[in-house]
Amino acid sequence: MTALARIDDLHKSFGGVAAASGVSFAVNAGEFLAVIGPNGAGKTTALRLMAGLLQPDSGRIFFDDRDVTSLPAHARVRLGLGFTHQIVRPFYSFSTIENVMIAAGHRHTTSPWRALTLRSRQAARDKAATILERIGLTAQTDQSPRALPLGQRKRLEVARAIALDPRLLLLDEPLAGLSSAEAATMADLIRTLPQAGITVVLVEHNLGEVLRVADRIVVLDAGKVLAEGAPAEVMARADVRQAYTGTS
Amino acid sequence: MSGYVASLLSVIGINMILALSLNIITGFCGQVSLGHAAFYGIGAYTAAYLSKLGVPLLLTLSAGTAMAGLIGVAVGLTSLRVRHDFLAVTTMGIGFVFLGFVRKQKWLGAELGISGIPAPGLDPLAYALLIAVAAASVIAFSLWIKRSWMGFTFDAVADDEDAARTVGVNVPAYKLTAFGIGTALAGLAGGLYVYFARIILPDTFDFVQSIAILTMVVIGGTGSVWGVVASTVALTLLPEVSRAASDYRLLIFGGMLILVMRFSPGGLAGMARSFLGSKRARRRAVP
Amino acid sequence: MYFVELGVKGLVYGCMYAMMAVGLTLVYGLLRILHIAHAGVFALGAFIAVVVANETGSLALGFALAIVVSAVAGVAIYRFAYQPLLGHAAFVPMIVSIGIFIVMQEAFRMVFGAYGIAFDYNPYYTATVDLAGIRLNYVEIAMVVAATVLLVGFGLFASLTRAGVGWRATVSDPQMATSFGVDPVRVRYLNFIFGSGLAGIAGALVGLLNNYVEPTMGALVSYKALAIIVLGGLGSVRGTLIASLILGVVESYGTIYLADIFDRDAIGFLFLIVVLMVRPQGLLGRG
Repeated sequence: MTALARIDDLHKSFGGVAAASGVSFAVNAGEFLAVIGPNGAGKTTALRLMAGLLQPDSGRIFFDDRDVTSLPAHARVRLGLGFTHQIVRPFYSFSTIENVMIAAGHRHTTSPWRALTLRSRQAARDKAATILERIGLTAQTDQSPRALPLGQRKRLEVARAIALDPRLLLLDEPLAGLSSAEAATMADLIRTLPQAGITVVLVEHNLGEVLRVADRIVVLDAGKVLAEGAPAEVMARADVRQAYTGTS
Repeated sequence: MSGYVASLLSVIGINMILALSLNIITGFCGQVSLGHAAFYGIGAYTAAYLSKLGVPLLLTLSAGTAMAGLIGVAVGLTSLRVRHDFLAVTTMGIGFVFLGFVRKQKWLGAELGISGIPAPGLDPLAYALLIAVAAASVIAFSLWIKRSWMGFTFDAVADDEDAARTVGVNVPAYKLTAFGIGTALAGLAGGLYVYFARIILPDTFDFVQSIAILTMVVIGGTGSVWGVVASTVALTLLPEVSRAASDYRLLIFGGMLILVMRFSPGGLAGMARSFLGSKRARRRAVP
Repeated sequence: MYFVELGVKGLVYGCMYAMMAVGLTLVYGLLRILHIAHAGVFALGAFIAVVVANETGSLALGFALAIVVSAVAGVAIYRFAYQPLLGHAAFVPMIVSIGIFIVMQEAFRMVFGAYGIAFDYNPYYTATVDLAGIRLNYVEIAMVVAATVLLVGFGLFASLTRAGVGWRATVSDPQMATSFGVDPVRVRYLNFIFGSGLAGIAGALVGLLNNYVEPTMGALVSYKALAIIVLGGLGSVRGTLIASLILGVVESYGTIYLADIFDRDAIGFLFLIVVLMVRPQGLLGRG
């Protein structure tokens, strides 16, 4: 398997606190990679660095062997990278379907002047409707995200990211705040993505579901990679269990 | 009588272009600007200066529009650097810097402005019609933007910039585009004003004017094209219709800002929407 | 010597700006609102001081009532305009604030006339003192003293008293503070009382210094105060103080050295824009 994306020795500090102290790992095309670790390990930071929402203090990020470290977030989206936020951020002034439409039509929005010449939203609407159906949000099509409970908003967040036709999808704690039934459904949904050609990197706290669906696991602790490998063997390691129980 | 009508039409037309242009920046793209009068002024001063050199009308108007747009993009670049909250004060600052500059420049007439501007070559009514055509074009352009993918993207940027980034929107490019279009159109209004008034003074383009333009946008309903059209007509006619309103113009503006924003932040358009029911309650449903 | 005197005068103005700007930064820090109506409170303090002093013959009473009335006005503005609109985007209360300021300014104009009023008896107007070769007016000294005493006092209050610590906690983390039993509403009231009272004193002192109080006096000071709080890093009191002094000095020198290019009022904003381009978070703000 070839590495679809790779991060290399990333460092990032916030006001003197080091969130990432030399994080390196690779993601292979077609796999489902989970990044786990105790609180404050730097998981979300690593993901946001990959997405381009943060700039690293040092280190490099590669996508398709191309150095994207200095590329802004929107440019990475154009290369095939999708991202969902831990605390969901739908466009609250848009309806559910409009949220997906703006992503579905992302090729129309590249250049403002070209966007000015394009009026029809029908194609984007059709594509968005298909995605909503796949995700199970058809009933909520015209509703405002404000009217949706958290579980549905999280699914909308994923739907919107999928509409970007990403090759790599970065998910920041998609199961957080969900009931166990909702979490299981969401995990099952995400698990189908690699088969559809979307490589998944997932940051998650909910170990139960993660261990069930991931192909490979990277464990972060204190801003560094502690261990990586298949779920069973990683979780069997004493130092990994230490990291989780040793920190409160 | 027709002179009065021509004059009124001209003022309404110019105000409409000004308000709609600010509406693109603040209403469509969500970038607050408290210095919009500066671009009105840049267009006016450019056109006035060139007109006195003998440059023909269409060229001076184009030059005014272009100059305002270019400087607008430069100002837009500042908007990219500063945080959202800072933008209001920064744009206010741009307005004061512009005013402070022209007040001191002898070649621009300093405190006395530019006078003796040549006639437009059209009789007052015909000129008023020219302005009306320009205003109608700006209305049409605004509606076009709103219904295009540019408008859809502006909505996303105005709603949540960071989320827009994650759906692939080049947020800086869109902000600059909004600034460029909005300020260029304000420059057009400035050029049109020059031939209407035949004399321009620095104080015409001060902070109070910026607030007056903002008032028209806000009361109409920030983002709504027809709302802004309606409020501009109403607010321009008010001092004409009522002598009392004319004396207390600023007071009324201030009072309306307070009452509208306090009780119906969506402006006239918002009120119309609530009245018409909830199905059309989202901003984009009403153009 | 002249050079030094310019600097000292700049610091005096800086103290005046500081008294205005602190009120603004306090409101912003707590509510994220640009309290433009603060300018009206400033002018209100000035007018009250003159009216009361002229009616009763006592300057002290004039000042005392200026403080009280300003503080009450500030709280009233919070209750009517800001508290009900806290759920909206910051744009909305800011516009209401602009409206309130315009209405206040116009109200002053209608009541006191456009040319304003003056103290009947102002012995300090021409009284000066020679400090190491620099001529300073008694009122200028009073301004520096008042600013220093009040702001140092506030600093002590904020670090040493329970109420002060509660206030600081609320500014940095409102939810945490509430869970510790700090009443956010009381903190806000305190905020507005102190900030508005300060503005009232500043207004009264400026009225005394110029021996003249007119309706638009709040405007320019307020706009500069806005520039100052952005420069100082919105919400940071210490940053605001330093920025106030810096702005006063920059203006003082700038007005002389840039006299041919920009007028006085533009200098401050020009400085702001230049600084923001280099450091978008302000001189002392955190990124």
